[in-house]
Amino acid sequence: MAYRITDACNGCGACQKICPVDAIDGEKKELHVIDEARCIECGSCGRICPQQAVQDGFGIACETIKHSKWEKPVFDRKKCMSCTICIDACPVKCLALSEAEAKDPHGYPYLEKEKICLGCGFCAYECPVNAVTMAVPQSVS
Amino acid sequence: MGKGYMGKILMVNLSGGNIQEEIIPDEVYEKYLSGMGLAAYILYNRIPAGADPLGPDNILGFVSGLLTGTGSLFAGRWMVVGKSPLTGGWGDANCGGNLSPAIKRCGYDGIFFKGISSKPVYLYIEKGKAELRDASHLWGQDTVEAEKMLLEEAAAGARVALIGPSGEKLSLISGISNDRGRMAARSGLGAVMGSKRLKALVLAGAKRIPVHNREGIKRLSQKCNRWVQFQPPFVSGSMMPYVGAFMRIMPTVLAQDGMLYKTLLRKWGTGSMNQASIEMGDSPIKNWKGTNEDFGPKRSLTTNPDVFTDREIIKYHCHSCPLGCGGICSMTGKYSETHKPEYETVLALGGLCMNEDVNSIFHLNESLNRAGMDTISAGATAAFAIECYEEGLLTKEDTDGLELTWGNSEAITALIEKMIDREGIGDILADGSKVAARKLGRGSERYAVHAGGQEPAMHDSRNDPGFALHYSVEPAPGRHTIGSGLYYEMFQLWKRVKGLPKVGPLYFKGSKYVVDEEKAVRGAACSKFTNLLNGSGLCMFGAFLGVKKIPTFDWLNAATGWNKTPEEYMKIGERLQTLKQAFNVKHGIEPKNFKISSRAIGAPPQTRGANKGRSVGLDEMMGDYWKQFGWDTLTGKPSEECLARLDIEVQ
Repeated sequence: MAYRITDACNGCGACQKICPVDAIDGEKKELHVIDEARCIECGSCGRICPQQAVQDGFGIACETIKHSKWEKPVFDRKKCMSCTICIDACPVKCLALSEAEAKDPHGYPYLEKEKICLGCGFCAYECPVNAVTMAVPQSVS
Repeated sequence: MGKGYMGKILMVNLSGGNIQEEIIPDEVYEKYLSGMGLAAYILYNRIPAGADPLGPDNILGFVSGLLTGTGSLFAGRWMVVGKSPLTGGWGDANCGGNLSPAIKRCGYDGIFFKGISSKPVYLYIEKGKAELRDASHLWGQDTVEAEKMLLEEAAAGARVALIGPSGEKLSLISGISNDRGRMAARSGLGAVMGSKRLKALVLAGAKRIPVHNREGIKRLSQKCNRWVQFQPPFVSGSMMPYVGAFMRIMPTVLAQDGMLYKTLLRKWGTGSMNQASIEMGDSPIKNWKGTNEDFGPKRSLTTNPDVFTDREIIKYHCHSCPLGCGGICSMTGKYSETHKPEYETVLALGGLCMNEDVNSIFHLNESLNRAGMDTISAGATAAFAIECYEEGLLTKEDTDGLELTWGNSEAITALIEKMIDREGIGDILADGSKVAARKLGRGSERYAVHAGGQEPAMHDSRNDPGFALHYSVEPAPGRHTIGSGLYYEMFQLWKRVKGLPKVGPLYFKGSKYVVDEEKAVRGAACSKFTNLLNGSGLCMFGAFLGVKKIPTFDWLNAATGWNKTPEEYMKIGERLQTLKQAFNVKHGIEPKNFKISSRAIGAPPQTRGANKGRSVGLDEMMGDYWKQFGWDTLTGKPSEECLARLDIEVQ
């Protein structure tokens, strides 16, 4: 079920800019619209909207979250099979496979481009062995 | 809620540039699955009878599998399909790599091409938009370089399938490459792509793949993964030829559980069998004329499995594979890296040509991957040419000065490079051994080992008559990835499918050569089951774990919500096999003409070596196999009643 934008939209265009599949249309300062057929329900529009004008597929309003507080994937190497499903699942392709190490010839996924990660959690959702979890990065104090 | 498939295909007409989405009804998936089943349904109904494989009426399809992207393991295979210019009938090739999920992420189960473009083009899909782009700057570039260039022009994370110069030059043994040299190599479909002037597909979609019960699939995958990760320490590479020799000497066969091969695959990859297969009589030597005695453990030592893992920089996992049998290897010479040469490549370029020089095998592996030419057919055709030279049918003048003797690695390398460039003798050989023999004449046909025009793989049918059967009866002949006596043991279908014969733990070797109905039942079961794998996008090596350990039927039910029994799925497999056979009949193929060359079935039998005195009663086996599907036992053609029974519409 696709996301939708309510009348609270002020047309700032932040959602349109972040949408990874170009599913959002609208003129500046006008109500934006999500194309249901294109929406992949990554939720990034909802997290970034300053007006809380985005509702998820169940009609629940999405909470605006500060970008630095968006969840990011954390990988458990002991569980990981190097199957690359997570890398494929990522809509913005921010994951990559590591080089092999001396004692282990397999590569493992890691967050290569943290800045473009949408925090959608598709990598964790699709991992068959639950080797990926989503967590808010801890800031170094 | 989804059903694992996307429910749509993309049809691209290269003649006019028209690109159209088509919705495929649910009933089609229930009858044929996705992947190769969906492809067979499309191609059977839409390629007109007698169409020129290299003409505008042929349709080239790239399909993903029903289970790809659903959370199932080993589900990363994509297939390319079309009318084969090599055999004149049904053509398919199967590849791992990373393309399969990319097809579905663009929103399609398959992308099909008809017509011919007036100039080189490639298909680009991103954010729901598909367009044909100019590929003039890529024409002539090899698969690795062109892929790099395409990725620079594409969105991050795009996946590519493309042809190299061999496909462009319409070599009938050319294939299609993905992820820097993984090849969908067989059936000559690279030439079909070349004939359409289609250089590549570049796919950068981000669509979700809808699944009925993803949590259920995950639970099944976790259980399967525990088997895959179980990895006991095993013998060193230097022990492998002795394992093979032991298997040769034993009068009995210990039925194989796929867990053993899984262990070898995880450690070394398919190259684990490089030496062992020669010793047990599984590898054809010297263009199928020689034996293990001609290429003993000392001569094959250079292709010891450890040689390949020593050069391995990193293991290579295809999409959704927990095993990782592939690898990227370093090498010296013209190229610095290559995909780890597979068993088939090593033996086709090695033992089949009596070539001991592993460096030449590394070089040719990369050269052929870059050119986009099938290593099996290239090696087999080179072996054919060497025998012609040794027997005086080819002279030094014909070979442009090459001393084409057994094991002359420099000459073999130069010859295959000529085939890639279609230069001199290479031009004749670039279409495979059957076409080369026809062009050469001089009685050379007796040295061309093929089934219906396609060179068989490096598994000797005199050692396992099941290979002889499947090389000869499959709609795409000459293939080793469908069935054999050994595969039936490893699939362990009797553990889930009612009525199939069980294989005991130990049996006498002689029993393999007795032609009886049970062998036909096993062969038919392998064909049906492999059709399910190819409809699902599952890997054969995963399937070797056995159906109790790799939950094929349960994954399909969890992905679709269908709740079908294993027997009902096998019926789908039977329908696919019959549909592909009907495709061949529609295109004028006489199935009995796909019978493999007599040398490969021990007619006459060898007088020494591992397969001494062995011959295969293939004619009788073929008839018995056809009977299992209800096809005519003399001609191999499905009757109209048979098509009606399987609910296949004749259009």
